[in-house]
Amino acid sequence: MGTAVIDARDLTKVYDGAGAETVALRGVTLRIDEGEYAAIMGPSGSGKSTLMHILGCLDTPTEGAYLLSGRDVAELDDYELAELRRTTVGFVFQAFNLLPRSTVMRNVIMPMLYTRVSHDERDDRAAAALRAVSLEEKLWTHRSNELSGGQMQRVAIARSLVNDPSLVLADEPTGNLDTATGDSVMDLFARLNAEGRTIVLITHEPDIATRTRRVVRITDGRIVEDAATADADIRQYGNGDGADSAVSPRVGDA
Amino acid sequence: MRFSDLISETLHSLTANKVRSGLTILGIVVGIASVIAMVAIGQGSQASIEQSIQAAGSNVLTVMPSAGGQSGPGVRMGAGSVESLTREDAESLAGLSLVTGVAPSSQGQGQLVAADANANAQFLGVTADYVKVKGLTVASGSFITGRDDEKNAQVVVLGATLAEDLFGESVDPVGKRIRSGNMLLTVVGVLKEKGTSGFTNVDSAAILPLSTCSRYVTGSEYLSSITLTIADEEQMDAAENSVSGLLLQRHGIASADYADFSIQNMADMLETVSSVTGTFTTLLAGIAGISLLVGGIGIMNMMLTTVTERTREIGLRKAIGADSSAISAQFLAESVTLTLIGGALGILTGWGIGALAASLLGASAIVTLDSVLLAVGVCAFIGIVFGYYPARRAASLSPIEALRYQ
Ligand SMILES: Nc1ncnc2c1ncn2[C@@H]1O[C@H](COP(=O)(O)OP(=O)(O)OP(=O)(O)O)[C@@H](O)[C@H]1O
Ligand SMILES: [Mg+2]
Repeated sequence: MGTAVIDARDLTKVYDGAGAETVALRGVTLRIDEGEYAAIMGPSGSGKSTLMHILGCLDTPTEGAYLLSGRDVAELDDYELAELRRTTVGFVFQAFNLLPRSTVMRNVIMPMLYTRVSHDERDDRAAAALRAVSLEEKLWTHRSNELSGGQMQRVAIARSLVNDPSLVLADEPTGNLDTATGDSVMDLFARLNAEGRTIVLITHEPDIATRTRRVVRITDGRIVEDAATADADIRQYGNGDGADSAVSPRVGDA
Repeated sequence: MRFSDLISETLHSLTANKVRSGLTILGIVVGIASVIAMVAIGQGSQASIEQSIQAAGSNVLTVMPSAGGQSGPGVRMGAGSVESLTREDAESLAGLSLVTGVAPSSQGQGQLVAADANANAQFLGVTADYVKVKGLTVASGSFITGRDDEKNAQVVVLGATLAEDLFGESVDPVGKRIRSGNMLLTVVGVLKEKGTSGFTNVDSAAILPLSTCSRYVTGSEYLSSITLTIADEEQMDAAENSVSGLLLQRHGIASADYADFSIQNMADMLETVSSVTGTFTTLLAGIAGISLLVGGIGIMNMMLTTVTERTREIGLRKAIGADSSAISAQFLAESVTLTLIGGALGILTGWGIGALAASLLGASAIVTLDSVLLAVGVCAFIGIVFGYYPARRAASLSPIEALRYQ
């Protein structure tokens, strides 16, 4: 066993909706070591994104402890958390979250504004990242709200990579891409993983999941399966979200 | 975050959201400009009114006839319609130590007929000292002399406006003749334009020797006023007392309550008018204050309606590694830039409007530092507080909470 990058212990997340509480995570314990390449799967609403946000230090669990590279994030202050997000974690949002009125280039450069990277190097790194996700160069000066969903998704991936993170967390990074572009993004992730980076991605697609080495399956806020990809029967539940999502994660509705 | 990045992010953010920035700046400009313009107009007109009073001389006392306070039965008569002041009164006042000049005068109305034009004018009967006491300047010819007065001479000195009305602009009226009733007046001089000063407008007056005026115009030996200059402005009250004492004694009146004259002290007058125009300025400042409030609410509105959008942006920036202080610095820089631009434009606009309005009113606009500081201070305060505070609050949320903010 290597060093744990992600060490989540009995995570619970409860959202206080208007009058109704939603329990999104019901005790998730998950350990992911350095250099691993894992896929999180599960039906819609099962808590995958919620878990991912906590793993990326973007949200805090209601209960449970989370250690990132051995440090308990609950004990970090605002500045230390910012530094972790900036230097260690590259996060790709399910909803992209680009700045709509800024250009593609500016969006990709943005994470470097909060670092000491020089102007020239910023441009070089942003260009390299955009090329890595095969975004056509003529789009680089477009405002991000003028892009298609798949283009935005690739900009979001490029943005997550510019600060050279050791941990990449990607929430359905290929959800809006055609097979060919999706494949090239997966090639990119495979390369990043081969360089030693830890990669965790969420996906609904069995084809994508089979390219990782470990599959964690979540249903209704609990891990129901955690196995090496070779051993997991991905095909069986890959498109079977319908059956699982019959289990409502909402508690207060009744 | 580097300072150069802070500047470039700020400018980028402001130009990427032109409408938002424009409306915020507009709010600031309206707030600041209205305060500055209103106060400038108010102070300008106050100053010009005070100036015209000061032009009449603040070391001047004017004695006018008036019905004694509780004296006679029946209706109280207004100033001027009472006959109580005589030339002898004026001559004896000249003997008082503080008095440096005495100018008795009488007033009447009449029709003047020149060669090509006629005019209804105010007649002023005066003595030779009048020109000095009133601080007038003769533009051409000469003023009434002592001899003119002794001999009931039919000579006239014309005010600048009246001269123009009767003879036109290009003609020098000195030596010309004017008929009025049964007088045939020779013009001996024309006064330089003076503007309204005190109570009489000499620019449109026809000035006669006092004796001539008494005989042909008013038909009475009594005066309508005696103007006195006093040696020392500091001693106006003492001078007023001694003038009053002497006149009471001459008229055989025991108590000042029954005096058949009243004394106007120009210094007091100035004070009264100042307080009236001060009220006017306060009123304008009140209106300006309301515009400032409206402008302030506009700024606040603009800042707060963008909170949702800004909160998401803050969530995003935090998610990619900005710490709270970098975010605060950025939003503070934006608010400060907006208020600086709005402030500068507001001051210029306010100045312009003030100057324009004042020139239409015939006064000059006075932009005071106070009003500029007040207006800019309030707008900057509102702009910065309402630009910065929501950002500060959003920065304390977790990135996901901020990204989901509705
Ligand atoms: N901010 C929130 N407030 C209230 N409830 C929330 C919030 N975010 C998520 N939830 C609820 O938590 C549960 C898990 O949501 P989550 O986004 O983690 O699902 P997911 O597995 O990522 O789904 P999908 O595959 O559709 O992206 C859902 O029932 C959702 O309604
Ligand atoms: Mg999700």
